[in-house]
Formats: sequence, C-alpha cells, structure tokens
Amino acid sequence: MAEYDLTTRLGEYLDRHLVFPLLEFLSVKELYDDKEMLKGKLDLLSNTNMVDFAMDVHQNLYPDQQVPTVLKDKRGQVVNELKTLQAATDVITKIFEDPEVARTIQNRDGRQLCDFLYQEKGFRPDMVETLYNYAKFQYECGNYSGAAEYLYFVRALLAPNDKNFMNALWGKLASEILMQNWDVALEDLNRLKDIIDHNTFAGDLQLLQQRTWLIHWSLFVFFNHAKGRDTIIDMFLYEPSYLNAIQTMCPHILRYLTTAVVTNKGRWRGCMKDLVKIIQHESYTYKDPITEFIECLYVHFDFDGAQKKLRDCETVLSNDFFLVACLDDFIENARLLIFETFCRIHECISIGMLAEKLNMAPDDAEKWIVNLIRNARLDAKIDSKLGHVVMGTQAVSPYQQIIEKTKNLAFRSQVIAQNVEKKLGHSKQEVNQWGMQE
Amino acid sequence: MSRFFKAGSDSESETESSEDDEIIQQRPSAAPVQSRTFQFSDDEDDSRRIVRSAKDKRFDEMTNIIQQMKNHKQIKDMANVLNDFEALIKAADKAKKVIQEEGVPRFFIRCLFDLEEYANECWEDKEWRKSISKNNSKSFTSLRQKLKKYIREKYEKEVNDYKENPDQGDDDKRDETPAPQDEESEDEVDTSVKAPVKPKLPAPPVIKKQLPKSMDDDDDDDDDIDWDSSDDSVESDIDDEQFDTGKLTAEYFLKKSDSGTSKKEKKRKEPKQMKLEETDEEGDWEEVKGGAPLIMERPKMFGKDQEINVDAVLKKLYEITSARGKKGTDRNEQIELLKELREIAETNNLGLGIDVKLYFNIIGAIFDYNPNTLTSMRNDVWESCLSYLQTLLNILIDHPEVNVGEHIKEDDENLTEAPLYVRGCFLTLVEKMDEEFTKMLQSCDAHSTEYVERLQDERQVCDILEKTLRYLEIKGTTLEISRIYLKRIEHLYYKFDTSCVYTGDNEPKKEGTSEQTMDKLCKFLYTSETPDRLRTRAILCHIYHHALHNRWFQARDLMLMSHLQDNIGHSDIPTQLLYNRTLVQLGLCAFRQGNIRDAHNALVDIQSSNRAKELLAQGLLPNRQNERTPEQEKIEKRRLFPYHMHINLELLECVYLVSAMLLEIPFMAAHEMDVRRRMISKNFHHVMKMSERQTLIGPPESMREHVVAASKSMKTGDWKACKNFIINDKMNAKVWDLFFQPDKVRDMITVKIQEESLRTYLFTYSNVYDTLSLHTLAEMFELDMSVVHRIISKMIINEELMASLAEPTQTVIMHRTEPSRLQSLALQLSDKFLTLVENNERILEVKQGIYPFQNKRDRNDRQPGTSAAFQHHTQGVVEGEGYGPPTSKSVTNNQHWNRRNNKNYSRESRNY
Repeated sequence: MAEYDLTTRLGEYLDRHLVFPLLEFLSVKELYDDKEMLKGKLDLLSNTNMVDFAMDVHQNLYPDQQVPTVLKDKRGQVVNELKTLQAATDVITKIFEDPEVARTIQNRDGRQLCDFLYQEKGFRPDMVETLYNYAKFQYECGNYSGAAEYLYFVRALLAPNDKNFMNALWGKLASEILMQNWDVALEDLNRLKDIIDHNTFAGDLQLLQQRTWLIHWSLFVFFNHAKGRDTIIDMFLYEPSYLNAIQTMCPHILRYLTTAVVTNKGRWRGCMKDLVKIIQHESYTYKDPITEFIECLYVHFDFDGAQKKLRDCETVLSNDFFLVACLDDFIENARLLIFETFCRIHECISIGMLAEKLNMAPDDAEKWIVNLIRNARLDAKIDSKLGHVVMGTQAVSPYQQIIEKTKNLAFRSQVIAQNVEKKLGHSKQEVNQWGMQE
Repeated sequence: MSRFFKAGSDSESETESSEDDEIIQQRPSAAPVQSRTFQFSDDEDDSRRIVRSAKDKRFDEMTNIIQQMKNHKQIKDMANVLNDFEALIKAADKAKKVIQEEGVPRFFIRCLFDLEEYANECWEDKEWRKSISKNNSKSFTSLRQKLKKYIREKYEKEVNDYKENPDQGDDDKRDETPAPQDEESEDEVDTSVKAPVKPKLPAPPVIKKQLPKSMDDDDDDDDDIDWDSSDDSVESDIDDEQFDTGKLTAEYFLKKSDSGTSKKEKKRKEPKQMKLEETDEEGDWEEVKGGAPLIMERPKMFGKDQEINVDAVLKKLYEITSARGKKGTDRNEQIELLKELREIAETNNLGLGIDVKLYFNIIGAIFDYNPNTLTSMRNDVWESCLSYLQTLLNILIDHPEVNVGEHIKEDDENLTEAPLYVRGCFLTLVEKMDEEFTKMLQSCDAHSTEYVERLQDERQVCDILEKTLRYLEIKGTTLEISRIYLKRIEHLYYKFDTSCVYTGDNEPKKEGTSEQTMDKLCKFLYTSETPDRLRTRAILCHIYHHALHNRWFQARDLMLMSHLQDNIGHSDIPTQLLYNRTLVQLGLCAFRQGNIRDAHNALVDIQSSNRAKELLAQGLLPNRQNERTPEQEKIEKRRLFPYHMHINLELLECVYLVSAMLLEIPFMAAHEMDVRRRMISKNFHHVMKMSERQTLIGPPESMREHVVAASKSMKTGDWKACKNFIINDKMNAKVWDLFFQPDKVRDMITVKIQEESLRTYLFTYSNVYDTLSLHTLAEMFELDMSVVHRIISKMIINEELMASLAEPTQTVIMHRTEPSRLQSLALQLSDKFLTLVENNERILEVKQGIYPFQNKRDRNDRQPGTSAAFQHHTQGVVEGEGYGPPTSKSVTNNQHWNRRNNKNYSRESRNY
C-alpha cells in the first residue's frame, strides 16, 4: 500500500521534528524496508542536536560499527553550547521564577509586562533574544517542554513586528504538538492563523506558503483534538484562502478533509456537495481511494465501484498516521452514506445485494437495517419472504405543493386589509383635525 | 532630425527670406508692389497704404490665401488645399477690377502654375495616392479637375507664358509672396534668381526623376549644385554669397543656423555653401561639386586625399542621418548611401564598432523606407532587411565585447577600443521587424501563393528571434529578456506540435517539445519583474497553447488562477483580442475533452453576439449601426491576425451549437411545463426559430441545418437520427476532420448524444410510463446497463425525475407525481396569486406614503441598487413632511418587497 503513503509529500511541509512521529509510525507498519527507514531517520537527525538519538539509530542501523567520531564530537559541542546558553539565560530564568512576575505575565499584555520587567527587575531588551536562542536550542535538542515554556515568555515579550515573532509562534506550536498538549496546540494554532490571515504586508506567495505549512501542521491537532473534525471542515472547506492553498499547493490534503467530512455525520448534508465539487475539480491532480469513493458515490452513482473503493480505504486509513484512529468511524459512516444514497434512489432492494454493497454478511446487514428502522432513521419495511427492503415513498403531490404555496396568502391579504382600514381611519381623523383647525 | 527642429528651421528660413526681401527692396530695382504689411516697417506702410488701398486689400487677401495653401500643400492636406484654392478663386473674382487695371498679378499666376505642378507631381506619386484617406483623395481629384478647368478657362495664356519664361519679373514675384512653393520649384526659383537668364531650366518632374539617379550625394542641395555647375553659374553664386557675407552679419548667422539644422528647407544656395565652408570640408565640397550623377562616382563620398577615419565616417553618417525623416529625402538613396558608407568603412578597416553602428543605421533606414504605417514593405526590401538583421546579429553574437543598448548615450559611445559601446537597441529592431512581418502578411491575400511565400519567412523570423533570445539571455536586462521571450512565445503559441499531445499511453515524454519551451519561457515571465501587460499576454499564450494540445486541466487552472476574467476589460485591445482567442481555444479544448458545459460557457460570449469574426480579429464585419471612419477602419485592419493564425469560425460555431444542443434539448424537455422558460443558449434558440420559420425544410445542407435537424430528432429521443445528422461525411469534411484526432471526438459526441437523448426521452415520455425496464432502455440507446443506471440515479437524486428504482426487477418505477396539465396550471395559478398579493402589498406601500412621484418610483423599483436608496429617501421625505408617520409595519414590508423585487430582477437579467 506504499503507493498511497503521503509521508514524503507531507514531510515537505513539516518541521524536522514533526516528521519523527510519522517515521516511527511507518516503521511500526513496516511498509518500507527497515534499513531505509533508519537511514532516513539518521539523515533527519543530522541537522538537529539530538545526538544521543542519532547515536542510537546509528547503532541500530550498523550494529557492527562503532559510532562515528563526528557524532561524538558533536555531542561535546552541543553540551558546551548548552552550558553557555544556560549560563546566559540563568539570570532571565531567575526573573521568571519570581512568583510576582508569573502573576504579572498572566494578567497583563505584552507592553505592560515589558515595562514592568524593565523597571522592576532589571530586564534588558537583548535578553529576549538570548531567551529565544536558548528556547531554539532546547527544541533542537528535543527538550520540547523546555522550549515551549521559554517560547511562552518570548512570545509575551516580543513585539509583533519582531523578526523572531513568527518563528517563536511556530516553535511554540511545534513544541506543543510534540508534547501532545492538544488544547494548547489548538490555541496556538488559532493564534498563528489569525496572524497569518491579518498579515497585509507579506506577499501573496509568502502567505500561500505559510498557509500550506499551517494546514499540514494543523493535521496533528485536528485529528487528535476532540473538536478537531469540526474545525478542520470549517477551516479547509469554508475558508477560501485555505481551500485555495489546498487546491494549488497540496491537493493530497483532500484525503484528510474527505475523511473528516465522512466521519462527521452531522455535517453530511451541508458539506457533501461542496466537497464533491472540489474533489471533482481536483480529480486530475489528486486521487486516492478515499476521494474516489466519494466520487463513485456522488458523481457516478456507481455503487459497485464505491464498495470496492471502500475496501481499499480500509487499508489506506490503517496505514495513515493521522487517520488510523478514525478507521472504524469512517467505515461505519461510509456504509451509512452508501445506504442513504441507495435508499434515495431505490424503492425496493434485496438484502443480499445490499449486504454485498455494504461489504457485510447478509445476516449482519439485516440486523443493521433493522436497527436503522428501529431508530427511526429509515422509513422502510422488510419483506422477509422475498428478502427485500421496501422503502416508503416520499413524493410530494401537487396538491400538497399548492397548499404549501397558498397557505399564507390569505393571511398576508388580511394584513393588507387591516392596514388599509387603519389607514382609512387615520386619514379620517386627519381630516377632522384639519376641519377643527378651520 | 525631429519634426520640431524642422519646424523651427522652417520659420527661420521664412524670416530670413523676409529679411532678404527687405534687402532687395532697398535696391533700386525693388518691386513696385509692397503689399505685405507684415514685412514692412510700420511707417513705411503708413505712408503708402492710402494710395493703394483697394489693390493692396485684394492682393493682400490673395497672398494670405496662397500662404495658407502653401502650408497645406506641405502637409499634403488635400482637403484644405482644395478649400484654399476655392477661396483663392473667389478672392481673384473679387479683385477682378483691380486685376483689370493692374494686369494679372504675377504671384497669382505663379501660384496657379505651382499648384498645377504640385498636383501633377502628386498624381505621379501612386504610392502616396493609395495611402491617403478617402476624403483626401476625393479632394485631390476634384482639386485637380477644378484647377485644370480654371486655368484653361481664364489664365491659360498667362500660365503658359509663365511656364515658358518663369524668370521674368522674378524679383517682383519674390517680393510678392513669401515663397508659397514646394521645394523643387523653390530651388528652381532660387537658381533663377542667381542666374537671371537661364533658358535651360528643367521642369520639376525631371528633377524628380533625376534624384534617384544622382546618388553621389546626400540630398537635393547637391543636385542644385550640379545644376549650377553645369550652368556656369558658380560665379554668380559666389558673388551673391560674398555680397551677403560681406554686408549682413546678422543674416549671416541666420543662414548658418538654418543650414546647420536643415538641408531640405533650404531656400537658396548661399546658406549651404556657407555651411560647407564653415564645417571646413573643403575637400568634401570640391568633390560634391564635381560629382556627376554616376554610380562610379560613389566611392568619392570622401575627398581623394581626405583621410578616412572613424571621425570622418561618423561625420558623414550624421550628415546622412540628419536628413532622415524629412520630406524630400530620398529614403532609398539614404539606404544606398549608408550601405556604401559601410563598405567604405569596411575597406578601410575602421573596426567593428563603426560597422555595428552603420548596420544599426542601415536597418533603421530600411524600416524608415516605408513612411506609411499601413502599407507593408516591398519584398526585396524586406529580404534585405532580414539579411542585414541576420548579419548584425551574427556580429553581435560572435563579438561579445560589443555592447549595444539604448541607454548608451551618443557621447559615451566607444567605437574604437576593446569594450565597444554602441548606441542602438537590437531588440527594438527585432520587434519592429516582427511588426513589419505581420503587416506584410496582412497585406497579402491569404489564399495566394504570395502569402505562402511570405509565410516561409516565418522560419527566418523565428530563427532571428531565437538567436536574439540566446544573445539577450547573456547580455540583456530582465526587461529585455522578457520582451524577447514574449516575442518568442507569440510566435510559438498558436502552432500545433503533434509531439506534445499525449494519447494517454505510457509513452515517454519527449525532450524539447514546444510545451517545454513554452513552459520555460512563460514561467520566467511569471516570476520575473515584468510589466503586467507582458505577463498577461504570456499567460494567455500559455493557456492557448495548453488548450491547443488538449491539456484541458492545465489550461483551465491557469485561466482560473490568472483571474483575468475580472479585469481583462481594462487592458488594451490587442490583449483583449488575445483573450478572446484564448477563450475560444479553451472552449474547443473542453469540447474535445467532453466537457460540454465548460465548452458552452467558454464560447457563449463570443458566439452570442454573432460577431465572432470581429471579436477574434479575423476580419471586419460590415454591418454595424454606425459606419467606421476610414481611420477607425485602418486601425482595426491593423489589428487583424494573419490568416495562418486564424481559428476556423465554422468549426467554432458548430462546436458551440452542438454543445448548446446537448445542454438545451434535455433542459427544454425537463422544463416544458415551466411558466417562465429560461434559455441556456439564446443563439441556439435563434437558430432553431429561424429554421422553424422556413416554409419548406429540405434535407440539411449547411452545418447549421445539420445541427437543427439533429436537435429535432433529439427532441423525440431518436438518438440514431441525431447522430447521423451530426456525424456524416458532409459534417466530417466541414468540421470534425479539422480536429487533431477526429475519431476520438466523434466517439465522444456519439456517447454524449446517446446519454442526452436518453435523458430527453425520460423527460418527455415519463408520464406515459408506469414502469420502465432498465434493460429496454439500455437496448434502446445502446448504452451499458451501468451507464443507464448511473444516468437515472443522477436524475432521481437531482429530483429531475420523480421515480425510483426497483433493484430486484431492474425497473424504474414512476411516481407519477409529475403534475398533469390541470395540476401544473393550478401551480401556475398559485404562483400568480402570490404575485398578486405582493403587488397589493406594494400598492398599499405607495398609498401610505402619499408621494407625488410614486409612479416614477414604481418604475425605479425595477432597477436594483438604486431603488433601495431611493426608497429610503422617500421615507425620509414622508416623515419630514409630516403627512402621517408610516407605521413600522409598512416599513418592514416595504423593505421585504424591495428585496424580493431585486431578486426577481436579477433572475430576469440572468435569463435574458
């Protein structure tokens, strides 16, 4: 199933550190050669300061070789650097450890905080820079919680037009994602999104790039946060700038969007049409079993095709880092989708055929349908002698239509008549008044 | 020299001549007629005016007119010359009495004579006559006739006398008029001044003919000298000159400035001689004097003993080029002179710099050769132009040390030493060449062999473009590269490259296809800092190229991403034309790919106006309310695309009509009962209506008739007949075979016809069925079961068809809820009720605010946007006036109605 693996495509838009979870997942699934995976990991680690991890990987990869001296040297360097930076930030850390400061940070905005720190605590502007560097270094070393903590202060202190401001935000988001603090991450994500959306200075191209990155990073949050699947639809499908970014830069995101829509039963009615339009529009640039499933179902009405695709979807989902959690949800909802569409078209369906279409055993299928009917989700009856499901008719007769149309006409006319009367009375009064004056 | 300078010198020479006149007047031989007040000092005038008032007045009038006429003649404004001539005749009539007394004034006769000469001369100049506007040529003809008649009737004798003896009373004449002559006759007069008795004076046409022959010199002055020398009048010239230089210093300077700036406008010889003396080109002068109109004399452009070096050549070059752009400069001769100069420079090994510079000048002169922007170059000139461009280009490529550019100032030029700097822009020359090429193609008959011959030069043009491109990639600025890229793109985008079309098989991508070239060039233009216009054009060409090669998705995405649809109306007309072409090509591409709706949408705007030909700039349409002025017509003609770039209009129309048919027929069938029928394609309906109006409908002949017949059979669901009307030998020959892979297109059309016929059939006949077997349907329309199932499912989902499928029996069960006739009428009636109630509400609104302009407001309501504002306004007025406050209820109602009304309007506007 390697052909549907998106890790390489996603990796282009992710931070180095964010790719590790993906690689870990892949090595568990054993889609690729073990050696290659390890090599990839080593490459990935080469530009970070996670030397110990790199050494481990190297050991795994070449059990018979010694750890190269380059790594050992690097380790020494990193430790030294860490020490110097730590020394530099010691003062600052002390300031922030002060409970008074902590209280102020929570209560005041950036400028007040700065003023407070400068005046009361002997804080210097270049300290922010030092702090930022230290946080960056921590992040490089894989100490995400430390990085997040320091970046929190940096963000509070930096002016929005500072060159490091955006970097700090991205860094914070990445740290929170890696620590799996989804609530905080969602907050950070929204903050970053706001800033990108309201940025009027950057060029279109730059904005597009930033949005693309944000889209990819947000996948971590959306598929792990409880409210994520709602938010992802709102953001990807209904914000034109993000939809544009998806269409132009990364149509493979459609897989995640589609999954989000399919698994979100409450929003089928509203979103499906828009989603189908986009999938159709982009079908020549991106296709995978998940989008094809939707296409089969809503464009071609090819139920056999849809059922085949559904089977493929299962494997794709189980091999996708983000989607593996919603596999069951997806299958269940996809079945419902097929069935719903089927019911809208058909008046009479044999259970055997339906079971085949839904990829279920006939008995299970019957049980499933009975459940649907019992829950009043379906207006149908089962003819068990012939093994058919017979739908109730839902046609609106012309009589009904006419009644609907003319229902409120009488009322409206009445209102008019009342108004006219009122008016008449009014003018009579007026006449009288005039008369009195005369 | 610019026009500005020319004009300046003109006035200078005039004042100068006037001063001359005064000098002459101071002589005892001064003429008795001193009628030009503006040339006299005031007191002089005062003393004499009373005596000769009648005569003065009349003659004054005439001289003024003559003066004006002279000006108009110079710019060849025939209409005004005619007017002047008529005015002159009138003035002459008025002055009859005076004339009878005084005799016919010399200046008048001379004017007539000159005018006649002028007319004849212009008549000879066929090229010019062709090029002038209708109005002008009409005036010219009538001027010629009137003039002939007038002279024959009245002054034949005098004119003949004058012709034979033009020098007689010359002084007098010179005083009379401030020289209302054109240059040839002027020169002639001048010579006659100096040589009072000159019997051998040739007629101007002779001079004209001689000019091209006498190629030894750069302009007419030297011709004069030839004449003079042959007439032994040199001494008198010198005498004159001595007289002038010796006595009148002020005049001396005047003349110098005159000769310095312009040679053509020279009135007499002295200034020229002075100039030559001043520039100290004695040898030059000697040579020129001796130069007979023989070709063998040509190398003597420089003195025998003069050293030919860079400076001398440059000086000569400036001398030649300063005559450029002036009237009376023989352009052909200029080219020849420049070529010769280059040869001289080459034989003397003056170096590359000079060579390049001269090449620039030669090519420039060649482009100048044709002064008229409308007519094209002659073939031989064009070919020489191409070869010169090639040579220059090769020089530039071979010698990277030569720097050329328009930013290099004349002063900064370095023509001798290693990093050579030469002023001149090769890119501009290339662009000019391209323009000329288009013009030449435009002027040829598209179906002649001439056109084909010219078109063969396209290869050379492209070659030059390609080389220039490679040259500029190394040396040019970004903007220059962009410009040449765009030129290259414009020569590439409309050409079909079979190697670019992928048939869907897994054949390897070929290298060096035009697709890749286009991609490279366009992407450079997109990313670099280029002017918007270049970028827009590049995008359009890119889309066109994609569409031409069936790359529908790329073309569509590029079109959508460019957002050109929104603001194309603000760009210049050629770009808009390109946009139209691109849109049409996009439509054709969509059709070939089976995207019928997209095809229709792309083509509807072009087709609906019936002016496709004009919108695509493939020809002018005569039928328009207001006729074009000749100028407008010229401009529009210049915009036309050459024939080989045309898009077949019949193909376009056919594609449009077929896609309209595929959309419209099922749509009509589905909405037969609707109250207000909307139209998808107005044009298609029009075509259908036209055919219905015919009393007898024979078998289809034209493409349009075929489509109409096909539509009719489709209406009844007879897909086979429909297909046979659309796809048959006639239509193949006319339309379908023009596509690249006609069979694919035909297959696509067949499938579409089957599907749409099925839909139409279901719409039309569903009310007579209770159940329908899918098998039967599949058999009827020769479609797969799955396809039929798909189509019907789609119709059910979209609620187009009130039916449902019974899966076990494979049948369609009709719900029979399609309203019967009575029911649909009832539905319509209920709709009408709704309108009635709404109308009532509105009337009440109006009544409530007793407002004097209520009727007007009613009408205004129909216009969205304005009505809302207006409504508010009236409300305010009503309240302010205090005629009883409107209830809040009515206000809301009012707004409600307003909104609804707007909605209606927008729906209407979409319909029609």
